[in-house]
Amino acid sequence: MKDVIPIQTNNTETIAVSKNSKNIYQQAIDTFSNFCRARSLFVLHYCTGCGAIELPPAMTSRFDMERLGIQPMVTPRQADILLITGYVSIKTLKRVILTYEQMQGPKYVIGICSCTVNGGMYWQSYATAKVLSEYLPVDMYIAGCMPRPEAVLTGLQQLMKKIEKGEANSWENYFKRYDYYLGNQQHLFGDTWHTPTDILEEARHYHLYGAESTGNNTARLIKYTVEHDLTKLDAPLREKDSMTKRGKK
Amino acid sequence: MSGQHIFLELILMPLLAFMIGLFLVLMMRKVRARIERRVGPPFLQPLWDIIKLYVKKMQISHGVIHDLGIIMLLGGYITAEVFLPVPGMSGFTSQGDIITLIYLMMVPSLGLALGVGQCANPNGSIGISRALTAMLAYDIPFIVVIAGACLYYGTTDLTEIIALQKSQQWGLLSMPILALAGLIAIHAMLGKEPFEIYVAPAEIATGPMVEMSGKYLGSLFVMQCLQIYTITVLYTSLFLGGGYTWFDFIPKLFLVALLPVMITVIFPRYKTDDVLRWLWKWPTGLALLGLAIVVLQG
Repeated sequence: MKDVIPIQTNNTETIAVSKNSKNIYQQAIDTFSNFCRARSLFVLHYCTGCGAIELPPAMTSRFDMERLGIQPMVTPRQADILLITGYVSIKTLKRVILTYEQMQGPKYVIGICSCTVNGGMYWQSYATAKVLSEYLPVDMYIAGCMPRPEAVLTGLQQLMKKIEKGEANSWENYFKRYDYYLGNQQHLFGDTWHTPTDILEEARHYHLYGAESTGNNTARLIKYTVEHDLTKLDAPLREKDSMTKRGKK
Repeated sequence: MSGQHIFLELILMPLLAFMIGLFLVLMMRKVRARIERRVGPPFLQPLWDIIKLYVKKMQISHGVIHDLGIIMLLGGYITAEVFLPVPGMSGFTSQGDIITLIYLMMVPSLGLALGVGQCANPNGSIGISRALTAMLAYDIPFIVVIAGACLYYGTTDLTEIIALQKSQQWGLLSMPILALAGLIAIHAMLGKEPFEIYVAPAEIATGPMVEMSGKYLGSLFVMQCLQIYTITVLYTSLFLGGGYTWFDFIPKLFLVALLPVMITVIFPRYKTDDVLRWLWKWPTGLALLGLAIVVLQG
């Protein structure tokens, strides 16, 4: 089945949002919101790779993340940043995607270590996902094998600057270009891949639905969920090409 | 008292409680950081956290009861603030005495139980069952302490209790055993180690907070500010003579909050049944002893 779905490697630049529609009060509120967002970051660590060992010194007395307003959180619902340290095996990537979809926007993904950038020393492995940003919108890569805590903190500070300027919007891409990300996920996991979170419905609800949200890959997902009766049939919003709700696996 | 005046107090008292609560939370985090030899959070960190959580662009509600539970837990504490006398403002203190206040302080736990119940997360359910067990554990010594204090002063009106302490001596000096039992009880009420059974991040993933996101978690952060304020003000009013002015009142609040934080860092966490056993044995025993002394003196 994996041969049927090719991997897609088109550009993943943020789709620009028009800012002209906002008046001065909305802009002021946005600026203040971004100011607060940049000063309070809750981090969820997904530490299955070797880079995890650099995080305890970054959090404890030597470097102390909390002085920058960064603190660890334990569930995806509470977190802002998903910190992925080191290689993600294909089995791990499924869990990472499930975790990511449960987080609340604005949410940011940071890939630490070379393995998340290009596969690193595991680039020949059959069992690892090589480029993380093909499966999730990644805001920041911190390269190195492994990056020292100084590098981790510098990366976090760069992300804070991006957030304060209002440029860290790549989480919106997951909704706007869901077809692309889903296609690459299906490339690895097969065309029966589905998660409990209904991304397309969320995209509609939060006005993030774009031309690239649906396509061949989402059609495959919808076909699968309809065939296996995972759709809620009584949902009034159901259309031919859309799926309103998916049940749990 | 004019209607306008009481209306102003109704707005000012919860607002001041929130602001002082923010600084109490900041102090707790800062002291914990210093004990762990870290720098600790910046000055306005608790405020940034709360604003950030309220301006999240995606909010997940798990249903009507989830929303109502959050309103109930915030409402319980906001209402409790107007029954707590502070320097210059007494709110509804003379209409509702300390027993009303104890009722109101139980509402947030029940609201939290309702709200978390609808999240249908097993960690949340375990957390809330532990939170209610902890409430059962610390409320017994706490109520015995309050009963002893009220027996000693001969009134349940907090303003009168404060006035009596101003004319005689502080409750801390006249009934030291009850004050000690009360201090242990408020340590458990604040949910700090070793009584941190219902948050337990490494064990049940923060328990009641597990499914809370965005403004729901923000409301819990606000609740934490109000909770610390309510508990410290109540203890200060009962045993430290309340406040003559804000300048001696606020240091007393910080001192009461500081004592549990100073010793909490060295403790691991008790098991749920051990919390119940320990709190029903030592602080309850001390409180009953203090009560007996008050009754025999009387």
